[in-house]
Amino acid sequence: MEVAILFALVIGLMLIGVPIAVSLGMASTIFLLVLSDTSLASIAQSFFQAMAGHYTLLAIPFFILASSFMSTGGVARRIIRFSIAIVGHFPGGLAIAGVFACMLFAALSGSSPATVVAIGSIVIAGMRQVGYSKDFAAGVIANAGTLGILIPPSIVMVVYASATDVSVGRMFLAGVIPGLMAGTMLMLTIYIIAKVKDLPKGDWQGWTEVFAAGRDASWGLFLIVIILGGIYGGIFTPTEAAAVAAIYAFLIANFVYADMGPLATGEGQPNKTLLHKPIALLSVFFHRDTKNTLFEAGKLTITLMFIIANALILKHVLTDEQIPQHIARVMLDAGFGPIMFLVIVNVILLIGGQFMEPSGLLVIVAPLVFPIAIQLGIDPIHLGIIMVVNMEIGMITPPVGLNLFVTSGVAGMSMTRVVRAALPFLGVLFVFLIMVTYIPILSTWLPTLLMGPEIITY
Amino acid sequence: MSSHYEPKGPVGRFVHELEETAIAVILGLMTLITFVNVVLRYGFQTGLTWGLEAVSFLFAWLVLFGVSYAVKVTAHLGVDAVTNMFAPNVRRVLALVSAAVCIAYGLLLMKGAWDYWANFANLPQTTGRWFPTGFEEMTRTSYRSWYEVLEVPMPEFLRFLEPLMNEGETYEKMPRFIPYAILPIGIALLLFRFIEAGWRIWTGESDSLIVSHEAEDAVDDVAHMNKGD
Amino acid sequence: AEHEAGCDDGEMVIKFSHVTNSDRHPKGLAATLLQERVNTEMNGVACMEVYPNSTLYNDDQVLEAMLQGDVQMAAPSLSKFEQFTKVFRIFDLPFMFKNIESVDAFQNSETGQAMKESMARRGLLGLEFWHNGMKQMSANKPLILPTDAAGLKFRVQPSEVIKAQMEAIGVSPQPMAFSEVYGALQTGVVDGQENTWSNIYGQKFFEVQDGITETNHGIIDYMVVTSTDWWDSLDPAVRDQLSTILSEVTTERNAAVGQVDADARQAVLDAGSTIVELTPEQRQAWVDAMSPVWDQFREDVGQENIDAAQAINASM
Ligand code: NA
Ligand code: NA
Repeated sequence: MEVAILFALVIGLMLIGVPIAVSLGMASTIFLLVLSDTSLASIAQSFFQAMAGHYTLLAIPFFILASSFMSTGGVARRIIRFSIAIVGHFPGGLAIAGVFACMLFAALSGSSPATVVAIGSIVIAGMRQVGYSKDFAAGVIANAGTLGILIPPSIVMVVYASATDVSVGRMFLAGVIPGLMAGTMLMLTIYIIAKVKDLPKGDWQGWTEVFAAGRDASWGLFLIVIILGGIYGGIFTPTEAAAVAAIYAFLIANFVYADMGPLATGEGQPNKTLLHKPIALLSVFFHRDTKNTLFEAGKLTITLMFIIANALILKHVLTDEQIPQHIARVMLDAGFGPIMFLVIVNVILLIGGQFMEPSGLLVIVAPLVFPIAIQLGIDPIHLGIIMVVNMEIGMITPPVGLNLFVTSGVAGMSMTRVVRAALPFLGVLFVFLIMVTYIPILSTWLPTLLMGPEIITY
Repeated sequence: MSSHYEPKGPVGRFVHELEETAIAVILGLMTLITFVNVVLRYGFQTGLTWGLEAVSFLFAWLVLFGVSYAVKVTAHLGVDAVTNMFAPNVRRVLALVSAAVCIAYGLLLMKGAWDYWANFANLPQTTGRWFPTGFEEMTRTSYRSWYEVLEVPMPEFLRFLEPLMNEGETYEKMPRFIPYAILPIGIALLLFRFIEAGWRIWTGESDSLIVSHEAEDAVDDVAHMNKGD
Repeated sequence: AEHEAGCDDGEMVIKFSHVTNSDRHPKGLAATLLQERVNTEMNGVACMEVYPNSTLYNDDQVLEAMLQGDVQMAAPSLSKFEQFTKVFRIFDLPFMFKNIESVDAFQNSETGQAMKESMARRGLLGLEFWHNGMKQMSANKPLILPTDAAGLKFRVQPSEVIKAQMEAIGVSPQPMAFSEVYGALQTGVVDGQENTWSNIYGQKFFEVQDGITETNHGIIDYMVVTSTDWWDSLDPAVRDQLSTILSEVTTERNAAVGQVDADARQAVLDAGSTIVELTPEQRQAWVDAMSPVWDQFREDVGQENIDAAQAINASM
């Protein structure tokens, strides 16, 4: 039972405070040296190839960068104004608007924590001003923020596609309906709670405000059209879409909204335009804001990829020791059907999600369960969406829930309080997980409709 | 929230600025090359065939160069839920053990990185499976400086390497030892930063190697909006 | 590595890494047969573990790993060896070989056999050539003359010869990760690609292309390679037995590959795809358009090798 020792070692190292990446890499390296003929040089090769040899993973830095430009550059603020204009007048209006804004931002950003930071920081403050409890506000945003990885684009989907060689474009399409569904379920829950508890609602500000806010936000929201239209219209691949999104967000943030960069001015003052300062077209490349945004996105990429690269070394161990084949044989011999198998996958991921950051966990688990799923006749795209939803739930359950940490940070609340606050809505996501797991057509209908039936090459 | 890193002294500040600028510039280049290639293909039916490979190498450079910086500023993710339950003195011991694990990891990876890169640069690998026990005797097949990448052409200003590394033969593409050089360099820096971090814990200057969540800076920037109850 | 399920204590483990499936693709089928025979006939002495679907290494990493001693056998496509010695560019030159029989005869000629050993100074030894088949052109419209392809974008493998070949007919060559090709052909990021019938069928490219032109303009073949260091270290009796099994597997699978190719072509046709068959005049137009490519690489490949290939064509 070498595998059990391997995983125990990984988890043990993590729990005493070794960085996640090093825990994965160290345990795997020891195993490769003891159990196989693999050289240390080949581990270094895996490390380098984690970046240089996995073309799909390139989407990660680009989507992170696009997100950074949009958060810094005022896109989030305008999306929130637009959301309030549309749904703010319902009971629980500002909370519903918060979820709606998270959904819109999720359609621009590939990451959940980024969505919480961008939307949460503003919306939580706003909700408290109109009389919501801080707990309610934080609970709503921590949950809605997880939509960042379910509504395309999604870094976690990119990682899944890379680990299993399914099409990124297909995965993105598969997330659309479940993403809209999860968002709607959260909004309905808030509406019901608001009716029961008589929570505050905003005033209907009229169609003028809807159109004004919509026009103001449209530059940012147009990115949805660019990303999806570009991918499915044959202009670029999903990976390139991420780079185009980053460039577009950079231009909007600096030259249209001008909340950052050479045209930005102090708060409350009108921004300069390119007509006043044409030199900005050049100076923007050397501007402090540009460098800082690039640097922040780079730093986040580095920490994330350090985990993924080490998880790939663990994957190398699993491949080398032919672990997936052994597990598959045991499971098939035991006569497990698809339903039992999916239950097991859900449990593994929910437990794993307690310790691991989603992308790293996915890199390890996907190659383990993918071949078995294919043998059991489970659709790879459906499996991918199940895994993504599990990751979402992992983000809001302790002890390692990225969204919990981020929410506790932006809301200035203790972790325990955030966990309690997120609990009622977590129930909603659990119901949603069960629906997604046992109704495959929710995930497969749209990609099949738009891209034709899927090919399974394994 | 963990504290912000403050570089010390003029050299410290210079290095810090250099690291941050390099990270920003590499990511910027990756984005630009990819974007330009989309424009060339869609708008002009052409493209830089080396673009894809160059961006992949830059990606590896970004991460391998940046991991050491992330150790320096304590940006690597970890789990502190368990360690937080212990008394400070136990925590300190666990942090020292963690640092030792990180240094051991750095040492193993350093040997691997050198061994992988060395032959591509016509240099000897180390012998030994876990620990370097010496340098190998170079054999006919230990010279791999002829090994070129797939697409990225040899830059003209590097042609001086040909007589040194390739017996005077011209390189059509860039030889692999150039992009791969980031492995020993990046891992050496990583090892150095791990040792430094271990020392900081030893002297009591810091108490942990990890940050428990990402997006820390962004969180700090906006947390003031939600102070109080 | 005594713990592996399939291998017993004391057996020498031979790792074979490749990039296709193990039960339908010509290369995967051959590797699987090789594994079966080695594990039966050399039981107690040697044990082969096959890692398909790029689970261990892709074609580019595998040669590095082989030089490093981390994997013992692989069968990359012939264009991967251009980096070791440019003579291999002969296999990418358009219309160099009339058909797969020509290719086979050339590989078995003195020139071909010498090529297997041409990389020994770089540490690799070729053991056998494995066939896939002749390449066809597919695009989002039926191509009859090379001028029909002008202005289109084709996904190509990283190879200077293939890039030059595409540019010769006015096609813009686009490198792209293999996993992205299907999606890119479907949405129109690229317009076409070149491949064998087995790959066009196996990767389902025919579903997202509006015509496949039967140009037979080039080949995709593989070479089973090992590292000279490892091969030389083997006990001569073991080496001989391994080499005999490999050679018999090669003969058997190479003889069957024509049928695999024909079946794949028929399957593509049955699926309702348009296959453009060229008249001799039309085919000549493609030959003429691509012929300048030979001059570009004549020095790399060697005139005597081109002559040898042409002599074999003429004799078939
Ligand atoms: Na998203
Ligand atoms: Na969790």
